[in-house]
Amino acid sequence: MTDPSPSAPADGLPEPGPAARQPTRGTSEIVTRFVAANFTDALPYILVPVLFILSVIFIPGYFSKLSIISLLILASLLGLASLGQTITIIAGGIDLSIPAVIGLSDIVVTQLYYKHWSLPVIFLVIAGLAILIGTISAVSSVLLHVHSLITSFGMSLVVSGVALEWSNGAVNGAVPGWLTSSVSAIGHTGPIPIPAIIFVWAVASVLAVAFLRLTRVGRETYALGANPVAARLAIVRSTWTLVVAFCISALCAAMVGVFFAGYSGIPDPTVGEPYFFLTITAVLIGGTSLLGGRGGYQRTVMGALIVAELTTLLVGVGFSASFQELALGILVIALTSTYGRELKVAAKI
Amino acid sequence: MEDLSRSFGETRALNSATLRVRPSEIHSLVGENGSGKSTLIKILSGVLRPDSGTLVWEGEARQLGSPRSAQGMGIATVFQETLIVPEMTVRDNIYLGTDGLFRYRHRKGDEIAGARQVLSDLGMDGLDLDRPMWTLSLAERQLTTVARAIIRPWQLLVLDEATSALDAQQRDRLFDYLRLARSQGRSVLFTSHRMDEVLGLADWITVLRQGATVATMGASEASRGGILGHMSGREAHADPAVVAETGPRRGSAGQQRPQRPVLRVAELTLRAASKPISVEVRAGEILGLAGLEGQGQVGFVECLCGLRRPVAGQVLALGDNGETHIVRSYRGANRLGIRYVPRDRRYEGLFGPLSVFDNFAITLWGDLSRLGLLRRQQARKRFAGFAESSRLVSASPSRAISVLSGGNQQKVLLGRWIAMRPRVLVVNDPLRGVDHNTKEELYGLFRRLAADGVAIIFLSTEIAELLTLTDQIAVFHEGSLVAMLPTEMSSDTDVVAAMFGADKHDGSADD
Repeated sequence: MTDPSPSAPADGLPEPGPAARQPTRGTSEIVTRFVAANFTDALPYILVPVLFILSVIFIPGYFSKLSIISLLILASLLGLASLGQTITIIAGGIDLSIPAVIGLSDIVVTQLYYKHWSLPVIFLVIAGLAILIGTISAVSSVLLHVHSLITSFGMSLVVSGVALEWSNGAVNGAVPGWLTSSVSAIGHTGPIPIPAIIFVWAVASVLAVAFLRLTRVGRETYALGANPVAARLAIVRSTWTLVVAFCISALCAAMVGVFFAGYSGIPDPTVGEPYFFLTITAVLIGGTSLLGGRGGYQRTVMGALIVAELTTLLVGVGFSASFQELALGILVIALTSTYGRELKVAAKI
Repeated sequence: MEDLSRSFGETRALNSATLRVRPSEIHSLVGENGSGKSTLIKILSGVLRPDSGTLVWEGEARQLGSPRSAQGMGIATVFQETLIVPEMTVRDNIYLGTDGLFRYRHRKGDEIAGARQVLSDLGMDGLDLDRPMWTLSLAERQLTTVARAIIRPWQLLVLDEATSALDAQQRDRLFDYLRLARSQGRSVLFTSHRMDEVLGLADWITVLRQGATVATMGASEASRGGILGHMSGREAHADPAVVAETGPRRGSAGQQRPQRPVLRVAELTLRAASKPISVEVRAGEILGLAGLEGQGQVGFVECLCGLRRPVAGQVLALGDNGETHIVRSYRGANRLGIRYVPRDRRYEGLFGPLSVFDNFAITLWGDLSRLGLLRRQQARKRFAGFAESSRLVSASPSRAISVLSGGNQQKVLLGRWIAMRPRVLVVNDPLRGVDHNTKEELYGLFRRLAADGVAIIFLSTEIAELLTLTDQIAVFHEGSLVAMLPTEMSSDTDVVAAMFGADKHDGSADD
């Protein structure tokens, strides 16, 4: 950093510490730390191809179109479910109702389609429910001055209760054939032999990154998560921002629920359960901080790919489900601890 | 106890301060905010360690490693903040810290008798020892913290603003106790912002200014004016730096008045018992706010920008065509062009993880977005203009704000609001912790804003700063505006006198 002004080094704060330490810390050390900081920043982007190559090496016959598409379907489901989670976490919150909303949406689409409701109406019903759920989580968090961890968890209990009640006894459900095809590894999108969910995820990813970077609400999301007190004083629309974040999260979860219905074709209110931790895992591995105000969806895309790849790799090599969780846990801790270090270094220089 | 003296070097808070307390003496330590009183007391009680200097206790040099070792020597301290555990009972609070980890040092019966005794010494005979602390009034809590200090054997009792919440009767009772202790050969060191207490109780008075002892005098030779003079540094050996800073008053902007009023405060009452405040602020005027800690000036600022509802009265924003709008909320104040720069940079201002540009532009997006999409080019243009005019030093606007120096961070925060083209800019102690050069630059920035017709309300804890920058200084005492001093005709002694509640109302604010 080149500082033409004489005022910059002579900071008036009574902090003799850093200045006194400066000479003992060599320039080369600062440089290495700086490279290390950028390295951890790039780590998720490096892990994605590395894990893919490892899979190709260790799983015989893995390098095929079918297995790559299967991997991408897995990543798409997780990536879509984690899209809203990324935004709520950047806003300084967290959405624990994602699994419940996935389950509810799965029930609604299978039940109503079975009763011959028209698809646009069904989608409108699901979207309306998602917006209602997201709004309640966010508004109650603001009004009651409790963390959205609690309000969304409460919402989660209510929603899964409704889903269970709705599906009570019903084993019959139906979904349109194209929906099944959209999440099938041999599915087509129009003439293209790639299932639709992958395109949906790609478009949603671009939109999410653009939302966070180029819109007013997107920038306010970061500000709110970084410092809620300062956000209020900087006339950031705190309530509106949180409502938008939680509605996006619920809508994404509802979308994933619809895809899950296509996957299995039968009503299952518990289908979203693994996503309780998986969405948070994908967000954290990508490098979005639970502290709020840091990160972005492009990182979560990498996080979702890493989770999908690691799961596939471990299954392919023959590890049990419990070992997969263990491996994911270690990865989360290892990666987030390097991210934490990077922040401290950034603050020191 | 023979003699107590100490000096420190190199710390900013205290710079070779010396204090001598003799046996059987009540000694008062006085000084403005930030003169080093609290630091000195913390060192005396073992909370802080001095960088240099010595403490001589009963004839020998001693080191105070911890509050416990200070207590062991017989120094009992009551701190400014009322430190209590609200959920515990009065008795438990009085004996807080005296028990060992696994066993009680006192039998219950002894505890009750002891607590009764100290409370009755302080005039609180009737207080139920088993009441939880949070049910007590502030004054009772404060006396309980005194009781906690004196329940242990002590030779020197240190009271840091321990009387601020007490009424006259309680205070007299406490003073009687202190005088009794003096007659038993013990000593008291106390600080107070009330000059009558200082003159009425103390045998000796030590005045601190900018961390240094500027005078020690016997109470018989001290006068109110003399003490105030020492505190502000006018009569005693005046610090040349202060004189130089107060020398150049406001320049050209001051001459362009009179302008139209933009903000009117009508019969604003801050506290139930305080006098209503009526002030008018004109475009291009810089109004300074002064007062000792907790005298209402911060509450006044919060009322101005809608963060707090006054007990009574209104804040009115005046439009260009004479229309008036009442300020009802923070958002409403902002819509009316009243912009607030908070005091605590880190907790109320900065978005630590975000970039310099994002920190600057966050408030702009309301104006600079179309259909929710940002118009970054325009924001960048405003940032460039601001960085130029404030001489902001930053390698790149995309770097994290946390890498900037405190002064540059403050510039960005000011820029955030200046870019919103305020009509009234309310700043709460903006130059705290900012180095000298940046301070000078920011003075220039404020003057240019005023010259452009922005009304600035400038709260500061530094009197020299107010005298340098403002047109008028409003001084607060006990929730009321006690003086409106035209800066050109005022000295820092005048301001300090008003801060201590001396009657010198000018009255010019009312017309």
